Amino acid sequence: MSLDLGKQTNTKGQLASLFSIWKFFGGIPVLKGVDIDIVAGEVHALLGGNGSGKSTLMKILSGAYQKDSGNIIVNGQSVNFPDPQTAHSYGIYLVPQEPKIFPNMTVFDNIICGMKVKESAFSERVEAYARDLGFEGSIMDNAYSLSIANQQLLEIIRGLVRDVRILILDEPTSTLAFKEVSALFERIKILTKRGIGVFFISHRINEIFEISDRISVLRDGNIVFTKDTRNCTAQEAIKAMLPALDDDESTEISSAKLEAKAKVTADKSEAILRIEHLSGYGFSDVSFSVYEGEVLGLAGVVGAGRTELAHAVIGLDPFSRGKVVFKGVELKNRSPLKCLEVGLGYVPEDRYLHGIFLDLPNKYTITAAVLSQISKPLISKKKEENLAREFIKNLNIKANSADQISRTLSGGNQQKVVLAKILSANPSLVILDEPTRGVDAKARLDIYKLIRELQKKGTSIILISSDLQEIIQESSRILVMHAGRIAAEFKSSNFDLEKITSAAFGLGVSI
Amino acid sequence: MKFWSNLLKKREVVVLLLLVLMIIGISLINPDFGKIDNLHGIIANALILILLSLGESFVIITKGIDVSVGAAMGFAAVCLGLSANSGASVPLASFVAISAGIFSGVLNGVGVAVFNVPPIIMTLGSMGVLRGLMPVLTGGSWVDSVPQSVKNIANVKILSIDAIIWATLIIVLLTFIILKMSKKARYVYPVGDNEEGAFLLGLPIKRTKFLAYVVSGCFAGLAAILFVSQLSFIPMQAGSGQEMRAIAASVLGGVSLAGGVGSPFGPLVGGLFLTSIDSMLIFLKIPAFWNDAVAGMILLVVVLFDFTIRKMVEKENKKQRMLGKSTSYHGSTPQTRKVMEEL
Repeated sequence: MSLDLGKQTNTKGQLASLFSIWKFFGGIPVLKGVDIDIVAGEVHALLGGNGSGKSTLMKILSGAYQKDSGNIIVNGQSVNFPDPQTAHSYGIYLVPQEPKIFPNMTVFDNIICGMKVKESAFSERVEAYARDLGFEGSIMDNAYSLSIANQQLLEIIRGLVRDVRILILDEPTSTLAFKEVSALFERIKILTKRGIGVFFISHRINEIFEISDRISVLRDGNIVFTKDTRNCTAQEAIKAMLPALDDDESTEISSAKLEAKAKVTADKSEAILRIEHLSGYGFSDVSFSVYEGEVLGLAGVVGAGRTELAHAVIGLDPFSRGKVVFKGVELKNRSPLKCLEVGLGYVPEDRYLHGIFLDLPNKYTITAAVLSQISKPLISKKKEENLAREFIKNLNIKANSADQISRTLSGGNQQKVVLAKILSANPSLVILDEPTRGVDAKARLDIYKLIRELQKKGTSIILISSDLQEIIQESSRILVMHAGRIAAEFKSSNFDLEKITSAAFGLGVSI
Repeated sequence: MKFWSNLLKKREVVVLLLLVLMIIGISLINPDFGKIDNLHGIIANALILILLSLGESFVIITKGIDVSVGAAMGFAAVCLGLSANSGASVPLASFVAISAGIFSGVLNGVGVAVFNVPPIIMTLGSMGVLRGLMPVLTGGSWVDSVPQSVKNIANVKILSIDAIIWATLIIVLLTFIILKMSKKARYVYPVGDNEEGAFLLGLPIKRTKFLAYVVSGCFAGLAAILFVSQLSFIPMQAGSGQEMRAIAASVLGGVSLAGGVGSPFGPLVGGLFLTSIDSMLIFLKIPAFWNDAVAGMILLVVVLFDFTIRKMVEKENKKQRMLGKSTSYHGSTPQTRKVMEEL
């Protein structure tokens, strides 16, 4: 459908090009001089790991963020988008991952909201788009009852009535069911036939290969790879996403760990945790076991369902099917506290939201889970203080005293305080959800050391991380999740960054 | 048929029906209640609350809250009384009152929209400031002996109904039409419903919020004119407690505290409802100190009912997504599947 993509179309049919876009967040460069363009009628897929800058780049193109330097050329002229509305006026519209609709307004009002037009003139057009794209239901109904797929469609029609030339779809399939994905792809083809250029962000590589005409890979804020899809293999694309690390170095790390890990996996005793066919919001039919003293890495991209799974296991979120067996006993009516009492602890991903009492002294967080052990029946000040001191010393927390306000600690030390809270209950299995995110290098090493010490003591660990190198380095076994399911399992003898990345992005891997 | 069922889904319609039933019921018990004079009196008494609540609704629809409307009305009333007593004409004094209301609205609007102060804190603060300014302006005493010309506002009758009732009705209708026809005014709905979505569509969020507070202040100024003309003197506690009744009337009339929902008829019906309860209790010979408790209980019942329904809808939506999110996609065409296998 898109003929002659390549160099010669640079003048013909080019909708927009971005040159050396730079963007900083708090002094840290997120985009480092990105060049990218889009041609009429093509689907240009953007691939990249978490934090590679895909979303930031697209938000800059759609006016939600402002670039720090660089050039955006639309229709041959240099433009600046101070807000989304200006980008709309140049025919650029971004459909966010979670559709942003107004549930209490009608579908029609949702679509034309914010446009400087006479409404009545538009109802026919909106009606026509809705019909063409197969929108179910009346556009005069309120939007709150729409399914996610229809909400997404509403967003696309929003773009169309704004005379969109460039449509940006940010992970449009991550919330869709199977049938809805094929319907979406049909719609994308209708749009590209009309000459609309589509930027398609996805973590699912098979979808990218099905729908796109061109693939660009972002890594660490740079475009490292651009190729026409038909001349490109999935391996190439995956390879481009991997960090430019010396091959020797990575093998060295894993081989050094191999012996120690092999020992653990060899004397697999009883499974301490068995998860059987667990399904819930964001994951389905997940089964696996965790053995005594092993570090089980749970790899995947953001949105693969790992955190949702962990939440369901400890009873934070509801689940629809399946069971959780811990130390041979099925856990029913789970809650985080009940789980911790039997020895199953969870250290949450977002410590600010779920892990720490920021404006209280450290000791309050550290002892929060074991208050019943230090009270008789009122809380013993001395016991509390001693317990907190013990953990501050053991975990090497850089704090003046147990009374220091947690907010004044560094990110790494805050994370250790959260770890102390769970470890104080002496759990036999700990789920660590992204334990090193936003943590400085020193604290990161401390946390790795702690993981190994726990392992030595016989504590089992489930390590959830999007940093695949970290997972390879720390785990004795790795499960990869993709789109809510376990996609692959790796034993320590065949850890391979490329294969794990492939599995995380949905490429079939034979083990 | 659909028209009627849609109408019944609107809370202001349900509350209005409830009100009519209650009026009929009480009239059967005590026929004096249903007399035209009494009903006319109830409506005239409800006007101040209706106006305050109307302004409050604009703020609540943007997902904010304005607890300063009572104080703003008191402040505007003092300004009106002082300027009338020093010889200003009725139109000029009214203008002063509305300006004073707008001033308080601008104060809130700047705090919330420009400096991003949480609405409850900002308006609590300005409530204190405005209440504090009242005795400062009067030197600590009440404002009494307001000129007859001001009192006369409440006495004019058109077709044997108070002119101020007509005026309030017209204001409600005008507000309704403006909210229907004007795009800028209608932005209060998307901004309150989903602020991030409104931002992505390029709506002027700050301006919309700012204007909502200004409108709220303006209506407080209008209410002050009615207050002074009906009462003919201004005590220092003028309007105190009215902010809570204004919020209650809005919510009762279907304006959602979660933002994005509500029509100008909501405050009209809600204000009438709360005011009639006071009168009904008198006619049922229930001691007056029960008023607030009964009004509060009715409000709680309505809100809990509303909340339960909203929760049910949310749950249903989440269930739908749960089904959607946990299915993965493996290529729709045989070709792609083949390509995938080869890879």
